[in-house]
Amino acid sequence: MSAVRAEARTALAIARKDALAELRGRHAAVTTLFFSAVVLLLFGFALGPDSARLAAAAPGLLWLAVVFSGILAVNRLHLLETDDGALEQLALYPVARRAIYAGKALGGFAVMLVLGLVVLGAVGVLFAVDIASAWLPLLITVVLGAAGIAAVGTFYAGVTVRLRAREVMLPLLMLPVLAPLLLAAVKATAAALAGDPFGELGAWLQLLAAFDVIMLVAGAATYGYLLED
Amino acid sequence: MKTRILGFVALGTVVAATAVALFVVAPDLNQGDAQRIMYPHVASAWLAYLSFGVTAISGIGWLWKRDLRFDAVAVAGAEIGVMFTAFAIWGGMMWGRPIWGVYWQWEDPRLTTTALLLALYVGYLLFRRLTDDPERRATRAAIVGIVAAVDIPIVHFSVEWWRGLHQTATIASPDRVLDPAAPPVFVGTLLGMLGAFTIAWLYLMIRRYQLARAEVAREEAVRIERLMAARAAGPSAEVAR
Amino acid sequence: MPQTTIYVSPRSLGAPDRRPPSVRTTDLARLFAGSPALAGVSIQVEAARTIALLGPNGAGKTTLLRLLSTVIRPSYGSAVVDGLDLTRNTDLVRERVAYLSHDTGLYDDLTARENLAFAAAMYGTPDGTARVDRALRDVGLDDRAADRVRDFSAGMRKRLALGRILLGSPSLVLLDEPYAALDTEGMAIVDELLVAWREAGVSVLLASHATDRLAPLLDGRIVLERGLVAAVSGEGVGSAPPSLPGVPAPAAEVAR
Repeated sequence: MSAVRAEARTALAIARKDALAELRGRHAAVTTLFFSAVVLLLFGFALGPDSARLAAAAPGLLWLAVVFSGILAVNRLHLLETDDGALEQLALYPVARRAIYAGKALGGFAVMLVLGLVVLGAVGVLFAVDIASAWLPLLITVVLGAAGIAAVGTFYAGVTVRLRAREVMLPLLMLPVLAPLLLAAVKATAAALAGDPFGELGAWLQLLAAFDVIMLVAGAATYGYLLED
Repeated sequence: MKTRILGFVALGTVVAATAVALFVVAPDLNQGDAQRIMYPHVASAWLAYLSFGVTAISGIGWLWKRDLRFDAVAVAGAEIGVMFTAFAIWGGMMWGRPIWGVYWQWEDPRLTTTALLLALYVGYLLFRRLTDDPERRATRAAIVGIVAAVDIPIVHFSVEWWRGLHQTATIASPDRVLDPAAPPVFVGTLLGMLGAFTIAWLYLMIRRYQLARAEVAREEAVRIERLMAARAAGPSAEVAR
Repeated sequence: MPQTTIYVSPRSLGAPDRRPPSVRTTDLARLFAGSPALAGVSIQVEAARTIALLGPNGAGKTTLLRLLSTVIRPSYGSAVVDGLDLTRNTDLVRERVAYLSHDTGLYDDLTARENLAFAAAMYGTPDGTARVDRALRDVGLDDRAADRVRDFSAGMRKRLALGRILLGSPSLVLLDEPYAALDTEGMAIVDELLVAWREAGVSVLLASHATDRLAPLLDGRIVLERGLVAAVSGEGVGSAPPSLPGVPAPAAEVAR
């Protein structure tokens, strides 16, 4: 048991360090939030001005905005490790590799959660969607979606951080893998907003949860190898 | 020699299965002759999945044994897999045009699944090209392959779910050939096609693997040669004890 | 013997003659892009020794240090650190080895204290806060503890990286050019660290050009050239030629 506690402490220390570095002046979180707002505005321009059509498309637009902004967010969390060979040093500590992954994914989850909630609110305002009526299932959907994007994104950001063509490789690798999450999150959001007329909300949330668990396990099992040189 | 025989067997069975699919089995009552393309389409799709499984498992093999031959199998699986996936998509589109009137139909989630599979494969192959060092490349490719392979069942499952929830009973379903109530001659033709394609797949895999392994062996020979040359040349100074 | 007040965490190491060699490599080789940076190095370093790694640029000193520190994997050959196989017991080796590389691996946006506090959390250093303060004092950075590393000079960063090593409890310390970029005070701190490690029975393998300065602190020297051992001298260190096709190499012999 104490080995698990030690790993948890390691993960928390890494998450805390990332949070400290982010707050200190990289301003990444704020930039990413503004980016997601810009994306939503562009969706409005591209698909509007018919508000009925936008309201119908709102679940999809919400999650597209979150996923695209999420790519930036997870990328920045690993960019921090390019400071003077910090990633190499991180790999040298006598800590479990999966604890390093967990720490980075935890930080990613925190960012994605905030991002998801802000975008949810923005979508409610911009596309005239009533989120208050279904706030609980929407909250659960955002939590599960954020966890999945963090799990997958942390892994691929780690894989691509040392590569050339990193900016294009990260989305190219990440997005196809996120397709089931996108599907489930959008369907769950739409079902929640409509009052779950077909009783499918539970199924989609279960799918999201399963995706999260599977991807977290896969990421934790393989992250150590990308720290090798 | 054995591989060459396998190649001929593959060619023979594929031709035979194609002949059966084209001329022997009856056309579908509703879809007509267009339904025939389902035989190679479905067979290709299954082999596309199989190839990715092979890539992922050989990735695990590399991480475990650190033998570059595993990586040779992995790259063979990915390249052959891309071929079969592309063919499956093409088949799906060729079927779609006469049946639906369009090349792509979002209501057939299977096409989407196969397209995602293609995206995963292509991403994997492009990713491989970014690393030159063979061992680093093998390690990085292995983990990307494993995570992608883990994703595939989730994609398949979620898409089945999606389709199940939006089931529109249609005669124009591509899966009639998979329906357990289908006439045995349909099923038999499909299994025959699958068998033929699998032999062809095996042949292609072996050839591609041989190519990759030869390259691995060649690079290894160069490395050893340089290493031994450096040792034989010695440091420039006198070795003192 | 020069005195020092630097606190080196006491990992109970035992008497040197009872410990396995700190380093024993057999035909250790590493290639980059097909060309050998280290062609075949067989050396042995006894416990509790301070050994200098010498040689011209490109000789393979950095590569050897990076291999032993587990940053990179060997292409061929094997190595045993403190009785542990390098590739089979990598995580155990990591617990025992500390490495100072050319890059410092520090986070620019964090303060000196925060960087060390993070390292202490990673090492699981007991009594972390006090040890961090002590380490900052020992490397002479306690007056800059609350400043961000972004504002530090190269010399100060290196000192902080050395302070980070003090937070672990290594039995083998690997230093790549520890004196580079340091002023007189910084170099004196490195001297004190070497003394402290020697007193604690910690083995040190350092690549450096500052041979005159190091002379009173060294037990032995290894000279590398073109990825091979060119010469070995002193106590507690030995080498053997690499094996060639058809010629198996003898094991490294150590002069005592």
